[in-house]
Amino acid sequence: MIFLTLEHILTHISFSIVSIVITIHLITLLVDEIVKLYDSSEKAMIATFFCITGLLVTRWIYSGHFPLSNLYESLIFLSWSFSIIHIVPYFKKQKNHLSAITAPSALFTQGFTTSGLLTEVHQSAILVPALQSEWLIMHVSMMVLGYAALICGSLLSVALLVITFRKDIKIFYKNNHLGNESFSNVFGNTYFFSAKNYYKSQSIQQLDHWSYRVISIGFIFLTIGILSGAVWANEAWGSYWNWDPKEIWAFITWTVFAIYLHTRTNTKLPPANSAIVASIGFLIIWICYFGVNLLGIGLHSYGSFTLTSN
Amino acid sequence: MSSLSLQFPNSPSLSQEKPIDYNHLKLQVVEEVVEKGFVGFVQFALGYWGNGHYRCIDGPGTSEQCKSLCDFLLEPTEAKGNHEWIRISIGELLLIKGRFRISTFRNTLKIIPSLVFSLGNGFSLLGFDHMFSSPLFLSLLALLAASLMACTYTTQIPLVKVARRWSFVHSAEAISKQEIAETLPRASVQDLGVILMGAGYEVFLKGPSLYAFKGLAGRFAPIGVHLAMLLIMAGGTLSAAGSFRGSVTVPQGLNFVVGDVLGPSGFLSTPTEAFGTEVHVNRFSMDYYDSGEVRQFHTDLSLLDLEGKEVMRKTISVNDPLRYGGITIYQTDWSLSTLQILKDDEGPFNLAMAPLKLNGDKKLFGTFLPVGNTDSPSVKGISMLARDLQSIVLYDQEGKFAGIRRPNSKLPIEIDGTKIVIVDAIGSTGLDLKIDPGVPVVYAGFGALMLTTCISFLSHAQIWALQDGTMVVVGGKTNRAKAEFPDEMNRLLDQVPEIVESSSSRQSDSSSG
Repeated sequence: MIFLTLEHILTHISFSIVSIVITIHLITLLVDEIVKLYDSSEKAMIATFFCITGLLVTRWIYSGHFPLSNLYESLIFLSWSFSIIHIVPYFKKQKNHLSAITAPSALFTQGFTTSGLLTEVHQSAILVPALQSEWLIMHVSMMVLGYAALICGSLLSVALLVITFRKDIKIFYKNNHLGNESFSNVFGNTYFFSAKNYYKSQSIQQLDHWSYRVISIGFIFLTIGILSGAVWANEAWGSYWNWDPKEIWAFITWTVFAIYLHTRTNTKLPPANSAIVASIGFLIIWICYFGVNLLGIGLHSYGSFTLTSN
Repeated sequence: MSSLSLQFPNSPSLSQEKPIDYNHLKLQVVEEVVEKGFVGFVQFALGYWGNGHYRCIDGPGTSEQCKSLCDFLLEPTEAKGNHEWIRISIGELLLIKGRFRISTFRNTLKIIPSLVFSLGNGFSLLGFDHMFSSPLFLSLLALLAASLMACTYTTQIPLVKVARRWSFVHSAEAISKQEIAETLPRASVQDLGVILMGAGYEVFLKGPSLYAFKGLAGRFAPIGVHLAMLLIMAGGTLSAAGSFRGSVTVPQGLNFVVGDVLGPSGFLSTPTEAFGTEVHVNRFSMDYYDSGEVRQFHTDLSLLDLEGKEVMRKTISVNDPLRYGGITIYQTDWSLSTLQILKDDEGPFNLAMAPLKLNGDKKLFGTFLPVGNTDSPSVKGISMLARDLQSIVLYDQEGKFAGIRRPNSKLPIEIDGTKIVIVDAIGSTGLDLKIDPGVPVVYAGFGALMLTTCISFLSHAQIWALQDGTMVVVGGKTNRAKAEFPDEMNRLLDQVPEIVESSSSRQSDSSSG
C-alpha cells in the first residue's frame, strides 16, 4: 500500500514541477529574463528527474519486474528519458538549447500518462511468459531512449523549419544566393547585413547542429534497440524478424533517420532540407510508438490499449 | 498446422476448396500453407457478409452467424489432428469491391491495413499479398545492397584516404584560414603538442610544424556500417534459403520425429543427421500467479537418437529453448488435449478437448460427455470447460452451471444422476522447431552494426599549428561536433603555457613581431 501511495505522490510531484518549470520558461520568454529563476528551473528539472527515477524504482520493487511491461510504464520511461536528455547538457556545462523542447515533452508525456485515458493499465500488471526475459530491459529501454532522443532532435528540426520559413522566402533566397559560403561556416563571421538576419542564422545554425547530434545519439540507441529486439525474438520465438507491424514501423523509422543522416553529407545544401526529413521522422516515430499499438495485433500486442473505455 | 483464409464470391480461388453453404451465402473455405517468411498472427478477421460488416473473432458486436462460423473454422482438421491457433494473414483477406460499413473508429484503423493490402484482385499480381517474399520486394533489397556497395566504393573509401593523409601545413596563412584559427603570442609548439597529447590527440611534430588528429575511427565507421548491413542481408538471404522450420502441438506423453515436423524454406535447405531424432514429451506443466494467470509453461523433453538411446533431456520454457545438433526447439504455446474422467466409477475415459475462442488472448477449452440416447439428433450431455490445467467447470444437460473441480482432488460431482470424477487434465505443448544456418552470420552483422553505428558518432578533429617566431598559429576543423569544437579548442589553448621571456628574447620578439 505504501508503494502505491509513494508512486502516486511522486507522479504528482514530477508533473507539478515540470509545469512550474514551463511556466518559468514562458515568463522568461515573454516577460523578462530573470537569471535566478532560470537556475532554479534547472534545479527543478533535476528534481523532476529524481522524482521520476523514484517512481520507476518504486514500481520496480512493487511489481517485481523491471518497469517496462506495458504502455503506461513505457510512457513513464519516456518522460524519464526526456528529463535525462534535459539535464545532460547541464552537466557538460553547456548552454541548454534543448530545454525548450525537453521540458514540455516531459510534461506532456507525464500528463498524458497520468490522465484518465490509460487508467486501466495504471496497476502493475503481471508479466506474460513471453516477456519474462533479461532482454526486456535492454531492448525496451534502448528503444524508448532512442525514441526520446529522436523526438527531441526532430522537434529541434521543426523549430528550425519554423524559423526558416517564418519570414518571407525572400530572405531565404538571399542567404542561399551567397554561394558556397553557406550556413556551415558562419561561426563568428558576421556575414549578413542586419542583426536580425545574424541572429536568425545563428539560431538556425545551432538548431541544425544540435538536432544533428541528438538525432545521431537517438539513432544509435534505436539501432541497438532494434537489433537487441531481433536477437530476443530469435531466442523466444525462433525467428529474428517477423515482419510484425511494430517491427516494420521501427524499421521505417530507422530508415527515415538514416535518410536524414545521409542528407547531411552534402554540406552545400541548406539545413532546411534535412530538417524536413527529420520532421517527417517525428510523425513516423509517433506512428511507430503509438499508432501501431492502436491496432492491437501482432507479436507486440502487450503495448496495445483501447481508446474507448470498455 | 494450417492457416485458413476467407474467400468470398467473385474472387479467384487459391487452391483446393470445400464449399460450405452458409444460409444464403456461399462461402469457400480454403486451406493454405502459411507463406514462407510471413509469420504474423492476427487476432481478428474481417468478414463481408453481403450487406453489412461484421467483426468475426475479436471485440464486441460478434454476431451469431459469425460466431458459429468461427467455431466451424476452429474445428480440428482431420489431417492434422490438433492445432493451436489460426493464422490468418491480413494479405489474404479480400474485401469485395462494393460497400462496407465501418462502425467504429477502431474498426477504421483495423480496416486500413487490410484495405491497403487487399484492394482489388490486382494487388496479388504485384505481390502485395505476400509482400515480403515477393519478387518486387526482393529486387528492391538487391538494389539496396548494390547501392550500399557502390557508395562505399566510390565515396567513402576515397574520403578515408583523404582524411588519413598527414599533411603538414607550412604556411601560417593557410592555417589561419581554417574554421577555428587562433594565434598564441608567446608559446611553443611543443607545449601545444604535449597538451594535445594529454587530451587524446595523436600528435605529429616536424620542425616548426605540428599536425594532430583525434577520432579518425569516426571516418572509417560509416564504411563499417554499410558492410555490416550487407552482412545482415547476406545472413538473411541464407536464412530464407537454407533453413527449416516447423510447429507441432504434442499432447503430454506422446512423441514425434524431428524430420516429420520440419519443412524446408528454400533451395539451400539440406537435412542433417539430427533429423532422425525423436522427441518425447515427458511432461507438460504450467505455473500460475496468485491471481490465477499463467506465469510460465514448461515442457520436459527427452531426445532419443535413431537407436532409441536418450541423448538429451531438458525442461524448456518460453525464452529458454533447447538446442541440439543445430536444431532449436522453442516453447511457444500450449493447449489442452484431453480430459480424463471417471463416469459412474467406470473408465477412465479420455475426452478430447477443443479450443473455443474468446475475445483477446485468453484460451478456453471445452468438451462434452453425452448422456442418455446418443443416437438421437439432439444429444444432451454434460459440458466441461477449462481455461487452464487448474480447474474444470462443469455444466449440466440444460447448460446450467454445476460445479468446479480440480483435476487432482479426485472429488466426485453428481450431475443429473451421473457421478463424474475428474482424474486428470492432460495438456499439450506447442513447440516450434528451427534450423537456421544464417543465424551466426546475422548475429555477426548485428554486432558489427551496433559497434560501427556507435563509433560513427565520433567526430574527426584535426589541428594544425606552426611556430612562427615566438608566435604559434593554430587552426583546426572537425567534421561532426562543430558546435563543441571551438569551446574544446579554447580550453586546450588556454592550457598552453605562456613563455615569459627574458630581456635577450625581447629583442627577437620585436624583430619578428
